[in-house]
Amino acid sequence: MKSRTADLFAAAEYRPAESALSAVGRAGALPASIPVVPPAPLSRAPHIPAPQTPPHTRSRPHSRQLWYAAVFPEMAREASAALLQQLCLHAQTFTSFVSIEPPNALLLEIKGSVRLFGSLPRLHADIDACWRQLALPAQSATAPSTLAALWLARAGDPLQIEDIEALPGHLAKVPLACTAWDDELLQTLRAMGVTRLGELMRLPRAGLARRLHPARVQDLDIALARQSAPRRAFVPRERFRERCDFDTEIEHVAYLEKALEPLIERCAQFLLKRQAGVQALQLRLRHRTAPPTRVPLGLASITSERRRLSDVLCQKLTRLELKAPVRGMELISGPLRGLPASSLDAFAGLTRAGSRDSAPQLVERLRARLGEEAVYGVCLNPEHRPEAAWRRVHDLRLTAAPKVEEGMIDQDMPRPVWLLNEPLPLPEPEILQGPERIESGWWDGKGVARDYYVASKSHGIRLWVFQERHSKRWFVHGVFA
Amino acid sequence: MSCVVVKTWMPREESSLAAILADARVWKLKDASAAPARPVWSTGLSSLDARLPGGGWPTASLIEVLVDETGLGEVQLFLPALVACQRSTQGSREAPWLVWIAPPHEPYAPALAQQGIELGRLLVVRPNTATEALWAAEQALSSGVCAAVLLWLKGTDDRWLRRLKLAAEAGGSLGVLFRPERHRFESSPANLRMVMSRGEHEARLDLLKVQGGRPGPVDLGAP
Repeated sequence: MKSRTADLFAAAEYRPAESALSAVGRAGALPASIPVVPPAPLSRAPHIPAPQTPPHTRSRPHSRQLWYAAVFPEMAREASAALLQQLCLHAQTFTSFVSIEPPNALLLEIKGSVRLFGSLPRLHADIDACWRQLALPAQSATAPSTLAALWLARAGDPLQIEDIEALPGHLAKVPLACTAWDDELLQTLRAMGVTRLGELMRLPRAGLARRLHPARVQDLDIALARQSAPRRAFVPRERFRERCDFDTEIEHVAYLEKALEPLIERCAQFLLKRQAGVQALQLRLRHRTAPPTRVPLGLASITSERRRLSDVLCQKLTRLELKAPVRGMELISGPLRGLPASSLDAFAGLTRAGSRDSAPQLVERLRARLGEEAVYGVCLNPEHRPEAAWRRVHDLRLTAAPKVEEGMIDQDMPRPVWLLNEPLPLPEPEILQGPERIESGWWDGKGVARDYYVASKSHGIRLWVFQERHSKRWFVHGVFA
Repeated sequence: MSCVVVKTWMPREESSLAAILADARVWKLKDASAAPARPVWSTGLSSLDARLPGGGWPTASLIEVLVDETGLGEVQLFLPALVACQRSTQGSREAPWLVWIAPPHEPYAPALAQQGIELGRLLVVRPNTATEALWAAEQALSSGVCAAVLLWLKGTDDRWLRRLKLAAEAGGSLGVLFRPERHRFESSPANLRMVMSRGEHEARLDLLKVQGGRPGPVDLGAP
């Protein structure tokens, strides 16, 4: 066994201990059309026929996954986390799966993007160009496995390997230092005279696992695409937060609106990319000395539309009185929410001729200018006391279909359109209709014992009046408008 | 209005008046007012319906009600129409909204529910100033999501009324403006103007201006 070449050795010796895992890894590495045969474990029972050809001699198995690794050698360690997140956002132009490899590398799964961008060399060049544009020195490589791509990139080899078969040969030349294993381990290996991966791969597997660490042997399996190594995809941060600083101080709100436009545009783009919306935003205006002015704004429903955001923000701004000149501003979104399905209806706006807005839009525009409390709805309360039989609703259900509580509506008794906030005393009126006795609420200290009548004030004005049963005094409580 | 305008008409022996009127080139002046293009909502009072062109409140228009004191049933005149317009479009799409801006008292939810108004589609707006109220009314009218906007105002000029009327036409909604009777002799672009005042027993309703109809007092006592 030890006399074999690196490649053959690798196929035989580096079979992982857990054959099930290996089967999974290999199944993932083969095209779907080829029947998947698990690699024969050494302890295979004799009655199971062996595969006709060893796996590595089959028709060119292209990997299902293709990893592009970018290593940024000059990145400062302390700033790297934030910077890498920023870079992830750029990298998401090319693929949806980007993973951060601390301390200074990114991994992009690009198999699905190759056709979109034409070819692998072109895609590779495009991503490289992205780093160049950002003036970031980067080393990159593409390989069918995560670690292989990463190690090759660290080695500074701009290789693009699509073929799993070619992987061991290319990896063999990679210096061990590129594995980013801990120094002590590398020191040991160097003492053993092993400086390149190829030399390491030639060593017996069991001995390696014992001398180094089982995890390091696993690393080799991962690098050779024998074992899959799940990566965590980068999920972009859940808030939009961007600031812009002005060259000169701004004193007029009208200029602020102009300056705000690109921020809102970017915010809408940000939301669009994530198929998400916001229901709250905050605008912070920074002054030279005074503490920043915070302009909170709530939206009536979750949205990602630029027009709605700018509409509400501008309404807020026009009402704002600047206490000091503004040096810069920052737009911060509330938590991102999933967009309701109704907003995805492309034809929603076309059903009505001349329709310009939606109900949430109207409500939030009114609220932005008049204040949150100034716009409300009303609903019924299951109560007998007239003043408690209704209440204001500030949390409007703008999109859901409303439900009418049939049982709560008393059809027989007259009710006035206007209810006075406080009953007003009144001399004994001319009764038209009644009485309706309402006696309720003894349990909460606001008990009423009243006889309600419809009364006529003079020549056509109809009032809703009651007589208190104990004091016999008359009050007007409503107006039939 | 029996005037007939004939643009090009070649007299022939056998042609009768009916044949002439059937000619598409003949434009009949009478039709212009007799058949309103927009739908109407019944007022719930047959005597009032009979006086309005089309038999009800015109939609996409501004109605001005001059009333000095509340309690004359001035809102009641519009409630059947509000219910009808909320119900008419149910099923096909979500019910349109009703917006009440600056009402003189709190709209009493049980009374409105009793009349059949869908409370989930009613908005009450409480602006601080008359300008804000007018602005809110204009926004609501032109938004296209409101079937009707009711607005109570102490006073305004006719420039704002014109804006409201244009907004109502743009949004296809019914705008109803309640304001004091002292504005009676000011010019107004409203499609329909009326005065409500105290009467002998019932309230009195006088139509001041009816586009395509005849002004004059209306007997509210008739069912």
